[in-house]
Amino acid sequence: MNRARSFFARALPAAVFGVLFLGFWEWAVRFFALKPYFLTAPSAIWQQFTGNFSLVRDAATVSGANALVGLVAGTVLGIAMSFVLSRFGFLNQLITPLAVALNAVPIFVLVAVLNNMYSITSEIPRRIMVALVVYFIVLVNVARGLTQVSQTHVELMRSYAASDVAILRKVRIPNALPFLFVSLKIAAPAAVITAFVSEYFGGSQNGLGSRISSNIANSKNAAAWAYVLAACLLGLLFYIFSVVLESLNRKGEAR
Amino acid sequence: MTAVSIRNVSKVFNQGKPNQVEALRDVSLEVKRGEFVSLIGPSGCGKSTLLRLIANLLEASSGDVVVNDKSAAQARLDQDYGMAFQQAGLFEWRTVQKNIELPLELKGWDKPDRAARAKEMLQLVQLPEFADHYPWQLSGGMQQRIAIARALAAHPPLLLMDEPFGALDEMTREYMQGELLRICAATGSTVVFVTHSIPEAVYLSNRVVVMSPRPGRITKTVDVSLGADRNEDTRNRTTFFEAITAVREGLRGMHAAHVGLGNDDR
Repeated sequence: MNRARSFFARALPAAVFGVLFLGFWEWAVRFFALKPYFLTAPSAIWQQFTGNFSLVRDAATVSGANALVGLVAGTVLGIAMSFVLSRFGFLNQLITPLAVALNAVPIFVLVAVLNNMYSITSEIPRRIMVALVVYFIVLVNVARGLTQVSQTHVELMRSYAASDVAILRKVRIPNALPFLFVSLKIAAPAAVITAFVSEYFGGSQNGLGSRISSNIANSKNAAAWAYVLAACLLGLLFYIFSVVLESLNRKGEAR
Repeated sequence: MTAVSIRNVSKVFNQGKPNQVEALRDVSLEVKRGEFVSLIGPSGCGKSTLLRLIANLLEASSGDVVVNDKSAAQARLDQDYGMAFQQAGLFEWRTVQKNIELPLELKGWDKPDRAARAKEMLQLVQLPEFADHYPWQLSGGMQQRIAIARALAAHPPLLLMDEPFGALDEMTREYMQGELLRICAATGSTVVFVTHSIPEAVYLSNRVVVMSPRPGRITKTVDVSLGADRNEDTRNRTTFFEAITAVREGLRGMHAAHVGLGNDDR
């Protein structure tokens, strides 16, 4: 009861703002008689969204699956590599410049290169792209969690004559868990964005990103916006998933 | 009869490099079983280094360190000592009880035995109702008591403490000193205690070892004859003040006997 009330109390300002914003948008489009190619009314977008719901859903499923597969693969690889890095410090000096270099360019452009490696209808290049983006986010954070342990903890474990494996299990891994969940909170939305953007570089025209660009190209702006709405919802879904994961981890030590 | 025996120990960090530091030079010290010995001195006098040599967290450059009649390395492997630091160093993802159980876990104890011992230790530090709390729910003084409980969990004969009360306020600090004496009386532990504080060293110790820096060496040893029963009244006794004066003079050296205290003395 109390919790429900506090939830509504917190959600209310956001909800009021959202309704006002949509109302203003709708009003502005009608009052200034804005052309659809300039700005589409929310009502028209909603009509497209519900009217073509099965198409929107199919496209969202394609992009969502790419994002999810890439997210899982990138996370697993990132975690595995972070263990290797934290064990062999010298590798850090080899991998970090690579990570920085890859993060310095908009790495979506690699999709064009990856597309050449696989058949034109393959989803694999997009998934590899997502995995790459996720991989570096997870790698950097988890490696930090594994290595930045309190000096007191390490001395304490050494005073217990603990082996490296015991220190890994009882200090480094628990220390790295919060870092993992923070990195997932960043990586999950990034995975969705990467999945969309990857679709702009050719390949099958079946995902949200390609639907948006093809509808824009055909001047079907309201339909394009409907896919944008679906993209927002998908990104939100991934983000909520990562937040829920983190809260499960925090249950015991909630602050 | 000897818990710790240090003979002609020297320690040089980064030997042969430009940043070479001579941390300890020709230090010898004997600590008897059941004795409470404090190491005091300004920053950089090597007192923490000396403690880490006893703990075998560092290796001596030359000389012998014998703990419990074996090499320091063997004593560490046998977990012959418990250690407490300035930071309580509790694991924030473990409950208080699981923190105390950690050294026992590493020794391969069974779960019921661990739980029973943890309960016993919580009684000893008088915090039995906090077994299922997490460290962040406890005050600094409570955390430090849990850290002491953890250091003593395996009933080691020797307790090594590196400024364990350094981060506590004065009131809590004096309370903790009383607690430590009570706990040591109950367990019969030998203690080597590193501190910056002259009253703390005198109040707790049978013997205060005064060290000086660059290079770290022992300049004076002050025997404290306050007896076994110490309480708040002890802090008002003439013997207490005499010992404080003796330690202070040792720290200053005779030249500066009339000048104010150095930065590191509280």
